[in-house]
Amino acid sequence: MLTVNGIRDDLMATTVLEIERLTKRFGGVTAVDGVSLRLEAGRIYGLIGPNGSGKTTLFNCITGVERRDEGRVVFGGGRIDGFKPWEIAQKGIGRTFQLIRVFPELSALENLLVVTRDNLAAARERALELLRFVKLEELRDEYAGNLSYGQQKLLEFVRVLMREPTLILLDEPAAGVNRTLLNDLLDAVRHLRNQGRTVLLVEHDMKVVMGLCETVFVLDHGEKIAEGAPGVIQTDERVIEAYFGR
Amino acid sequence: MIRRGAALAALAAVVAGLAAYPGFASGYGVRATLQIFMWIVLASSWNLISGLTGYVSFGHVAFFGAGAYTGAILVAKVGWPWLPAALAGGVAAVLLALVIGYPCLRLKGPYFAIALLGLNEVLRALVSYFEGLTGGGNGLSLPTLDATIPIYYAMGASAASVTLLTYVIITSRFGLRLMTIREDEVAAEAMGIDTARHKLYAFLLSAAGPGIVGALTARDQGYIEPISVFPLATTITMIVMVLLGGKGTVWGPVLGAVVLFVAQEVVWARYPYVHPLLFGAIIVAVVLLMPRGVLGLLQSRYRLPRTI
Repeated sequence: MLTVNGIRDDLMATTVLEIERLTKRFGGVTAVDGVSLRLEAGRIYGLIGPNGSGKTTLFNCITGVERRDEGRVVFGGGRIDGFKPWEIAQKGIGRTFQLIRVFPELSALENLLVVTRDNLAAARERALELLRFVKLEELRDEYAGNLSYGQQKLLEFVRVLMREPTLILLDEPAAGVNRTLLNDLLDAVRHLRNQGRTVLLVEHDMKVVMGLCETVFVLDHGEKIAEGAPGVIQTDERVIEAYFGR
Repeated sequence: MIRRGAALAALAAVVAGLAAYPGFASGYGVRATLQIFMWIVLASSWNLISGLTGYVSFGHVAFFGAGAYTGAILVAKVGWPWLPAALAGGVAAVLLALVIGYPCLRLKGPYFAIALLGLNEVLRALVSYFEGLTGGGNGLSLPTLDATIPIYYAMGASAASVTLLTYVIITSRFGLRLMTIREDEVAAEAMGIDTARHKLYAFLLSAAGPGIVGALTARDQGYIEPISVFPLATTITMIVMVLLGGKGTVWGPVLGAVVLFVAQEVVWARYPYVHPLLFGAIIVAVVLLMPRGVLGLLQSRYRLPRTI
């Protein structure tokens, strides 16, 4: 069950995800080039970089959608590179997508129920609670495909939470979302952090990144060029160069 | 709104009527209804894989043929009674599905459809080749037996079973998971659903029915040959039935099977040359005007539940 408060001590101060020299090539293009990073429990991380810098590819390599060419991905102490996406999801990594991927011909409630095999009554209760959390409870029987963009975005967000993941990867959660909704989403992300979960988000909206993330990684042409607190990253020469050129 | 009790009562009445039918119907009536049962099994089975998971099978009649030959060989050459032979036909079809499902379900969309089409042709060729066992192009004759009425009941039981199976699947989370494969396979996998295994289960379940009715049909006709049990036209027909009735629903395939079969009998009897034209027209009309079929249309218009 989701706890309202409570930091989960067993997860604090442990390494949740470790990526070592991850490399992924597509033909002649090296999309991810020897990236290494480490995520600790109970923190919010940002992943930024110009378009084409390899952010989504990195996500795909972590979640098993793409097979890496070199390097390792270690989650909760065990290697997960080479595993299938559904196996990785079952180990406790959840993700959302840049282009929303809800199940359009399933209702909002069914979108949540279908991702878990838990006892139906318990799952239903949790699903309704999550829908209430994002104010979608009244639309629970509506086809997800009929929901508005913002509503689908929220649905996809809580769908990830149904499995109670340890690590949550959010791909551009702020894209196309109005300010009010965005604040709700950001509060939800902080809430997840407070529960001891780890969040890594790809985002282009710098205000979101600066206001939410504790540590930011910067990619450019597949390489990690900077890592640190948002304030530090903002003034890093290499980062400025990557975004604006010399 | 139709109340559940009334719907169940109506269903019970229909079932009772069908059970009593051979007692007062003509030979033609029994044979025609028997065939409707067969089409219900074919259409509903196709719906299990193609309607629910979106993996469109263009060679599903291969399972019908495999069941037909298995059943016919067991009756004609090994001396089995037709009922166990029919069940064996189902088993053979499921085994075939297991063997080809494993590699083929990895293929996406059109590639899967064509691979299944290829399968059908390969099976037909294999059957012609192994003449000793199957009688090759000369076909296979079964010992004469008038079992029309028992086969009517066997077909009826098969139709009822597949419809019940479809209902159970569509109202379960297993069924929902199958549908996520159709909706967005990438997202389904990202949510922890083992899509490969689910696709395979659906595929196996979709092969059993055609296998059984294939064997029953072989017994009923008394004679089979490659072209009669592996015709592409059968695959097309079952697809059109499901599209017309409503793919992904429980009663859609049933509705489609009944309507199309009756229409076909009526039209074909009077205007034999219009028949192929009628089919083509129906396909075009359904795809353009109501791609989700009659029940799909009713579901969106009148907000009927998905489980009809």
